[in-house]
Amino acid sequence: MFQKILIANRGEIAVRIIRACRELGIKTVAVYSEADRRSLHVAMADEAYYIGPPAPGESYLVIEKIIDAAKRSGAEAIHPGYGFLSEKEAFAGACENEGIVFIGPSSEAIRLMGDKITARRIAQEAKVPLVPGSEGAVSDTEAEIVAKRIGYPVMIKASAGGGGKGMRLVRKEEEFKSSLRMARSEARSAFGDDSVYIERFIERPRHVEIQLIGDSYGEVLYLFERECSVQRRHQKVIEESPSPAISSRTRKRMGETAVRIAKAVSYRGAGTIEFILDQNGNFYFLEMNTRVQVEHPVTEMVTGFDIVKWMIRIASGERLPFTQDELSISGHAIECRVYAEDPEKNFLPSPGKLEYLRTPTGPGVRNDSSVYSGYEVTPFYDPMLSKLIVWGETREEAIKRMKTALREYMALGVKTNIGFLLRVMDNDEFIRGEIDTGFIERHPELLVPNGGNIESALIAAAIGMRNSTKEAETSKQAPVSNWKLLSRKLAVSRNPMI
Amino acid sequence: MIYTFKFQDQTYKINLEEEGKETVVEIEGKKIPVEFQKIDENFYSILLGGKSIGVGILKRGKRVDVFVEGDLYEFESISDREREKAKGAVSGVQEIKSPMPSRVVKILKKGDEEVKEGEGVIVIEAMKMESELKSPIEGKVKEIKVKEGDAVESGTVLLVISSE
Repeated sequence: MFQKILIANRGEIAVRIIRACRELGIKTVAVYSEADRRSLHVAMADEAYYIGPPAPGESYLVIEKIIDAAKRSGAEAIHPGYGFLSEKEAFAGACENEGIVFIGPSSEAIRLMGDKITARRIAQEAKVPLVPGSEGAVSDTEAEIVAKRIGYPVMIKASAGGGGKGMRLVRKEEEFKSSLRMARSEARSAFGDDSVYIERFIERPRHVEIQLIGDSYGEVLYLFERECSVQRRHQKVIEESPSPAISSRTRKRMGETAVRIAKAVSYRGAGTIEFILDQNGNFYFLEMNTRVQVEHPVTEMVTGFDIVKWMIRIASGERLPFTQDELSISGHAIECRVYAEDPEKNFLPSPGKLEYLRTPTGPGVRNDSSVYSGYEVTPFYDPMLSKLIVWGETREEAIKRMKTALREYMALGVKTNIGFLLRVMDNDEFIRGEIDTGFIERHPELLVPNGGNIESALIAAAIGMRNSTKEAETSKQAPVSNWKLLSRKLAVSRNPMI
Repeated sequence: MIYTFKFQDQTYKINLEEEGKETVVEIEGKKIPVEFQKIDENFYSILLGGKSIGVGILKRGKRVDVFVEGDLYEFESISDREREKAKGAVSGVQEIKSPMPSRVVKILKKGDEEVKEGEGVIVIEAMKMESELKSPIEGKVKEIKVKEGDAVESGTVLLVISSE
């Protein structure tokens, strides 16, 4: 096992990895940008190195700086977390060249699966069903021709994409040109590459993904599925496992299909195969994420399998000690991503100082976070405050538990989506499990408070006003402290010659 | 004492009076006994008659933010004089402001160009996410205050639209 690991990330995932390392008896090295000196991952790690200005392009994304910090600290391995350099072939390659273990797949596997077009080809060769679309990146004119051929609605997707960036849904032909321009521009600024491809858009699709874990000896296991259909702007907000939509037969078929893709690239470590599930139960390969997923905790909760720890163990050369038959799902887990954002303004990020924070606890409640009262939510990084995960014996119990937990959550200073998440938990379609990626768009009423609490809020506001006036009066009358008196005396008597 | 709050363009009045040992709140003609305890700097336990509510309260100058069951209510406390002023004439000039620190990606309209209500006028980018800001009124672009590529602060006026 490793003695020391560098974590090339920030936020909750850095904290999550530090915890896993602690339990494994491994020393941890954090890296941080100028904006993150007061971040929790820095305070929690055993060592921490400054790597540059707040903009990720000048710190967390600079391979040389990360490698340099690893060498200075003597770290034997690097965990990349998600985002940043986690799916950059060049980074995994640089680690390989420097003799540092990259906790993840080989640079070759990242290259093959990271390029969405190559990934599609590999899936095709492994006889995995695909959504109709363009064969690879297309020019502006080709794009329009392909869109017409496969029929609207179509999706424009960034070849280098992920996380919903550089992705646009086009319903009508006349919207195509402007959407293409926006998709390219977003792709250019997010990934430095503006090539895009076109795909048919499936009506009311569900997003169901399979968690995989592979070791260095050719074994790949599937840790079942996560349903991530509740999305805003193509980014997941609520995830759960198991999916309320698939039968155990489909689960097995999806799992085995996912394993086939992973084996085709000799996959090592944690990875996820994302599928689109249509209303008839057909599934199509979407993409592979060659890293740990944000939503990995729901899988951990229902399988009892610590994904982050196993990533580290596998990277150090351990074998997976289970077989597929020994794995099973127990109960139901749901994750809500709590963001500093404004659902009423199209989920616009709401940076600022988190003046006050109270987080829920209780049986079956897990809150993966790295923020605290007084934390500054900066515009430089993703505005996620935490991932709130609950486990219940049944889906019904998990939903009720999530509601209880969300009611205990409190955040002041920035806007959050907590109220929105609570309303989703109360929504009949959600409760029945009738969700798809258009769920939020179809339910704009979930974005605004329903007004039931306005009276309580008003009374609280009046109490707040009254109390602050009273406190101001008391502090005016308060006797001056002896320390202040002493310093005044000293100021008067101080001899300027000393 | 009567407190007046503005919340989403609506004005609310609420009376909080101490009657002997009790505090009574009067809201929309109803009188409810109220008792509250400050648990920490921002967390209050309020008992309204028999109903118990836990709320977060943050006072910042004239603003009072209240957090109840997942939702944040941003109230603005207003004095009588300000209420009179707010009744002033409604102008047909609208400023398009940056909702957060961001970068101007593209200005979609030229000076004097006509815009429809709800039409996109400028594209900004923040946290790698592009969004289009729309004109709240129909009119003409009166002024463009930024250039493409500019970094702007939250609240910066980007364009001015006039309905005249």
